[in-house]
Amino acid sequence: MKVSCPFCGNVCDDINFDGEVEREKLCPLGESKLTREKKRIPYPMVEGERVSYDEAIERAVEILLNAKRPLLYGWASTVNEAIRLGVILAEKVGGVYDTTSSVCHGPSILATIEEGLPGGTLGQAKNRADVVVFWGCNPAEAHPRHPTRYSVMVKGFLVEGRRLRKTVVVDIRKTATALLSSKFYMIKPNSDFAILTALRSIINGNDSAVPNEVGGLSKSQLREFAELLLSAKYGVIFFGMGATHTRGQDRNVEALIKLVQTLNRHTRYILQPMRGHFNVTGADAVACWEAGYGYAIDFSRGYPRFNPTEFSAVQLLRRRDCDAMLVVGSDPVAHFPFDVVRHMAKIPVIQIDPHYNLTTKVANVVIPSAISGIEAEGTVYRMDGVPVRLKKFRESEFWSDYEILKAMLERVVERKGGDVVW
Amino acid sequence: MVSLEVRNGFVIDPMNGVFEVKDVFVKDGRIVESLDKPEMVVDAKGKVVVAGGIDVHAHVAGGKINMGRKMRPEEMRYPRFKSDNLRSGVGRVLLTSPAIGYEYARMGYTTVVEPAMPALYSIHTHEELDSIPIVDKMALPLFGNWHFVFKFVKNDEIEKLSNFIAWVLAKTKGFGVKVVNPCGVEAWMFHGNVYSLNDTDPLFGVSPKEVITGLISAIERLKLPHSLHIHCNLLGIPGNYEVTLETIKLTRRFENSERQVMHVTHVQFNSYAGESWKDMSSGAEFVAKEVNRNNVTVDMGQVILGHATTMTADSPFQYELFKIFKTKWSNLDVELETGSGIVPVYYSPKVRVHSLMWAIGLEIGLLVDVDKVVISTDYPNGGPFYSYPYIATLLMSEKFREEEMKRIANVERYSILPSLSEERTLEDVVKMTRVNPARILGLNDRGHLGENAKADLVIYDLPPEPNPRDYESILKALSNPSLVLKDGKIVVKEGRVVKHTWGETIWVKRDYDEELIGDELEDFFNYYTVQRDNYGVPHVRREVVLC
Amino acid sequence: MLILRPKLSFEVHVEAEITPDLAEMDLKDVLNFEVYYGKLVKRLGDLFDVETVGEGKRVILEGDFSRVKWIGKGMKDGEIVVRGDVGQHCGAYMEGGKIIVEGNADDWLGTEMRGGEIVVKGNAGNRIGCNFWGEMEGVKGGKIIVEGDVGSYVGEKMVDGYIEVGNAGDFVGTEMKGGVIVVRGNCGYVGWDMKGGEIRVGGRFDLPPSFVEENGVWRGDVNVGGKGVIRKL
Ligand SMILES: [Zn+2]
Repeated sequence: MKVSCPFCGNVCDDINFDGEVEREKLCPLGESKLTREKKRIPYPMVEGERVSYDEAIERAVEILLNAKRPLLYGWASTVNEAIRLGVILAEKVGGVYDTTSSVCHGPSILATIEEGLPGGTLGQAKNRADVVVFWGCNPAEAHPRHPTRYSVMVKGFLVEGRRLRKTVVVDIRKTATALLSSKFYMIKPNSDFAILTALRSIINGNDSAVPNEVGGLSKSQLREFAELLLSAKYGVIFFGMGATHTRGQDRNVEALIKLVQTLNRHTRYILQPMRGHFNVTGADAVACWEAGYGYAIDFSRGYPRFNPTEFSAVQLLRRRDCDAMLVVGSDPVAHFPFDVVRHMAKIPVIQIDPHYNLTTKVANVVIPSAISGIEAEGTVYRMDGVPVRLKKFRESEFWSDYEILKAMLERVVERKGGDVVW
Repeated sequence: MVSLEVRNGFVIDPMNGVFEVKDVFVKDGRIVESLDKPEMVVDAKGKVVVAGGIDVHAHVAGGKINMGRKMRPEEMRYPRFKSDNLRSGVGRVLLTSPAIGYEYARMGYTTVVEPAMPALYSIHTHEELDSIPIVDKMALPLFGNWHFVFKFVKNDEIEKLSNFIAWVLAKTKGFGVKVVNPCGVEAWMFHGNVYSLNDTDPLFGVSPKEVITGLISAIERLKLPHSLHIHCNLLGIPGNYEVTLETIKLTRRFENSERQVMHVTHVQFNSYAGESWKDMSSGAEFVAKEVNRNNVTVDMGQVILGHATTMTADSPFQYELFKIFKTKWSNLDVELETGSGIVPVYYSPKVRVHSLMWAIGLEIGLLVDVDKVVISTDYPNGGPFYSYPYIATLLMSEKFREEEMKRIANVERYSILPSLSEERTLEDVVKMTRVNPARILGLNDRGHLGENAKADLVIYDLPPEPNPRDYESILKALSNPSLVLKDGKIVVKEGRVVKHTWGETIWVKRDYDEELIGDELEDFFNYYTVQRDNYGVPHVRREVVLC
Repeated sequence: MLILRPKLSFEVHVEAEITPDLAEMDLKDVLNFEVYYGKLVKRLGDLFDVETVGEGKRVILEGDFSRVKWIGKGMKDGEIVVRGDVGQHCGAYMEGGKIIVEGNADDWLGTEMRGGEIVVKGNAGNRIGCNFWGEMEGVKGGKIIVEGDVGSYVGEKMVDGYIEVGNAGDFVGTEMKGGVIVVRGNCGYVGWDMKGGEIRVGGRFDLPPSFVEENGVWRGDVNVGGKGVIRKL
């Protein structure tokens, strides 16, 4: 059978499995996830002591119900079925639902709120794109099969492979992807916003507003770049952390969107964020249909409210505005700034994760789970939102995220009353 | 509770010719002839009893509405339901999934069709449908710009096309065949569109006319319960009523004694005369006449003045809208299959074109034969579905229309609505919201209260023939049913949702021979970015399969 | 006139939509006024000491209000004086009256305000005088004066009114349609995609490459056919 790879936002679904995962189609990232075993959490624990699943879940529910503002964080590394229960759990305990988006592609979402997203599926890049731009992203290393499956060497319906496709990399250093590309623009750090705006000015015929040099590119380079963009019959711009995590952040993405809007007056273009975790897109989508927003959602008033500068995990922890935390499939202790982690040490923390990580060290309740895509099945959304099924191909003694969250929800409703609503 | 009697209500059940005071009995979720000892008796004296409403066309689930939510948090700042015993629900026009189910139930609707499912995203569409409580639902996969379809149509391979449709319905758990701007969406991939039924797509060289007739042939061959469901070419553009007339005329080659052979959806948006926005006027009269003399049905696509979000698979049209409104714009090109776009709008009563759209919808509602037209807003394109009681009241009361026309831009020179004195009766409204949708969809277990029908039942605090001049009471009663039963369970009391239940997902199964289209599948899946094995919907919450 | 003081140091932030209207209510109703402590619904009297002092539609907030949000939300008249710092969303949707913050203000000061005046003696956070997420229009009237410095995103989509600050962070007056923003000190990018209005800067600033210089001022944003003006103070 074919299995899907639960590592990055590519979610490659063509991995052969025949009692064992065939390595041939795996990239190094997928190989480490699918074939190498990291240190597992061996059993449920409360304050470091081994307990049963029931006892751990009971304690977790007690913590969430007693907290004034519990934060339920993570979600990008599990399946939609579990995420959905997570959103409902956050609602039922009057807490906050936030995802790893708030520290990775949050800026893309904020820009989408401003402008919408002119997008398309990855197959559009494969089949039609004769110009592909990688802006501040490096798929050759972060999404290794992206170039061969979707964007550079792949043979498409109208574009038969690399020779007929111009690939452009815009970055502050010569990346591995830049080596694959037909054109590389090295720009000054933190100049994405200005360059994108200059390109838009040129394409709009407002050349006179553009100074002689912007972000390390001369005006003639900028004109040439604009011409290259306009030469496409169908263009795709992929962007990554180089755009979202440098000066401008969401404004950089907004500038990208506005550039793509402008390009569509002349030819066809789509824009696609290179999203990291395999289901960060699902974590966002499920919350949108269940609660109206993708992340940073507060349920303290009994209905959802949204504000990333108020209800995102980093903001809540930094402002000491949460008094309990549930972490699902994520390691905030390793990834959050120190002043933020400090508050985690002061409040009760519950962890649901297959693997031992730094967050395990501060967690008061630790609940081990089956690995999604290996030991548990479910739906995830690829970076372009295309749903892909993750398969289960190994038995496990551990409960799945879905089973754990369902048991938690059942207990919450048992205590609080109300219909079974999931 | 498994059995219940609704006593002394005035039953309006046009499908069974009932228009009288009559008791209705419910057992195990179905209507039964009689009951010895009902476990519960509901007194409906002085009220009317009707079947649950059916929406044939509302974009309630899937990538489009969800992208709408994501890009429009300003739409979600309106709390409707607090968590308490049920789910929370928010939204202005775009609603969260729980709010969609609750709001439908609150106005006595128990079935809804999601009319635009890209097959590649069918898992997502069904995940969302599975999260909408109470109502039953269906989804129509999009066929009008699919490379497979173009290829089969080009080669005139109707048998293969039929096989393909059956394969898709099984893979996506789909209910019927939807077409949106046939060939135009593929043309948009090349920055173009099509402008007549004979224009061709740039890749396969097939025309909308060929795609439409090819698909109808296949659908009729498969004897699908629902006909072709079409969003016509040139939607939303002044002068488009002519292409609508031509599209309708394409049905003359086909016969079907049980149902229509084409359902033209949200026809208001395709009933514009004139040549530009400046001189746009209503073409509804012409469209209504053509509908009335052909085996075709329509839903209104009524515009509700106020906020809305346009979202269609008609991606070139959506980009045109974006150029007009210069607000937000989302687009999704779906490999090999289809596309879509989203643009927020505000239909202003002060803007003539918007007021005219409002008037054209009502002309359609009044001029099309009462057996051929269904109330809709093409949610959320024309406005909220929860405005159906408002639309029904407008159709029932000339006085209400006069009042409403006082607050909108003058449309007298462009629409005949001000001169129309037609008034639909309550029984007509029951046809337009229950009987017709059930017949159009080919569902015989709903839309009526005969024996063995689903016990989806609504009690309104209205006399059977309400006074049209007292439109306020009509609107109030239609908006707040005294009681709503879904599958025999009380889900709404006095306009409040009291129970969270889950409805069914209905899909249509027809035999197919995968071998027959094996080469084509093999070929096209080289260009998909998902594996053929992984294509399609593995399961849904509760399914009913029509074989 | 009322004086409010927190009774305890708050474990999580409190949401209290305190307006000068409270000063005209019976003390009993003031004490019963609904506030939110995390997910707990509380009465004002549970969390704050309330003292009545003389007449006047004024509310004085004494002690630490830095963890209290939504002070002055939608207020129409009267006055609020915060004798210290104040939490997020202060003066949001305000229509009239005056708020004086003697310390610092947090993010979202004066969101979508339509009238009235907010004066902050200290600094303020990000997104002051902005639209809330997704809304098409920001501040439509009134005045925000911050004597200290502010963070990024000032006066987004502003339609009318006046905002004055010391130094500002990045992106001042993005997609502005009207009104005036004054940055007395330095700031980052100004006026991107502005359609109208005026931004005056005293110190250094970054100009997006979409403005054209004309008689010592910059006009744009050319990409939206804007008639906005950026000038040096
Ligand atoms: Zn539609």
